Amino acid sequence: MGIIKKVPVFLEKVPGGGIITTSLNTIFNYSQASSLWYLLFGTACCAIELMATGASRYDFDRFGMIFRASPRQSDLIIAAGTITKKMGPRLRLLHDQMAEPRYVIAMGGCTCGGGPFYYDSYAVEKGIDHIVPVDVYIPGCPPRPESLLEGCLTLQKKVKTQKIKDWS
Amino acid sequence: MNRDELAKYLLDKFPDTLELLETGKAEPFFLLKKPDGLVEFCRAIRDDVELRMDYLCQMCGVDTGENFEVVYSVASVKKRYRFDFKFPLPYNKAEIDSVQTVWAGANWFERETWELYGINVRNHGNLTRFLLPDNWDQGFPMRKDWDAPDFKRLPEV
Ligand code: SF4
Repeated sequence: MGIIKKVPVFLEKVPGGGIITTSLNTIFNYSQASSLWYLLFGTACCAIELMATGASRYDFDRFGMIFRASPRQSDLIIAAGTITKKMGPRLRLLHDQMAEPRYVIAMGGCTCGGGPFYYDSYAVEKGIDHIVPVDVYIPGCPPRPESLLEGCLTLQKKVKTQKIKDWS
Repeated sequence: MNRDELAKYLLDKFPDTLELLETGKAEPFFLLKKPDGLVEFCRAIRDDVELRMDYLCQMCGVDTGENFEVVYSVASVKKRYRFDFKFPLPYNKAEIDSVQTVWAGANWFERETWELYGINVRNHGNLTRFLLPDNWDQGFPMRKDWDAPDFKRLPEV
């Protein structure tokens, strides 16, 4: 990312350079939003719905979303399922292992804020935003595949608004 | 033997040790009257040729609010019998004997019971953290009086 980050800095001084930067921006954002590979992180029942969304009926592939089993190859964690306090550090580790830019979708009530385990549970983390930064929350127990698709489209919208010079 | 015959056989065989509890379950459920003789009782039901209870399905603790209870479910793979037994433990003397010498699979169940209820297991050999996070320092979470800063009880309705 180092060189690309420098592009706006130099080009914006040149007359007409802004056009190149914005075009580059559009190309990058378009390709990134259309190939959000996600890390398989299904820890409980929401994962079943995630699988249903990945299968042929709802067909994640048409958004370019393909599951990866390694954090090094993914842009996105869909945290599908209950995150316990013991699982929390593992989620954090996987998130930190992903290359930037990286995104997190919290799928289901459990990951948004404890869900059915909000009361009377000693083991469940009450929301994964205590552990990793979350981009899109999808409530539901479990959310239907349509909600998940809507969440992914929302994330795509977010990806498309980002600027090269804001990349970290 | 069906359920009633099995219950009768056990009561005849261990008249001083067992007491049948009425539960309506498909398997007989006994109260162990002498918790001190736990290991001998377990060995006896495992080695009895009519019973051959060679499999410990599960064991766990229970906190009833007045005392602890420890519940064992045993089965015979060959003869297809199954029954449960339990015994109460006072809060101030929560200690049981390990039954690993009878069923080696008791190891993990006993670790779990110790970890979640604080029921100490004598002669266990490896009583270490098992299910809870490795840096857990908040006591025994399945006890009725357990509390933690981010723990919320369901409000009464
Ligand atoms: S939100 Fe509901 S469906 Fe999803 S993991 Fe939690 S309990 Fe399971």
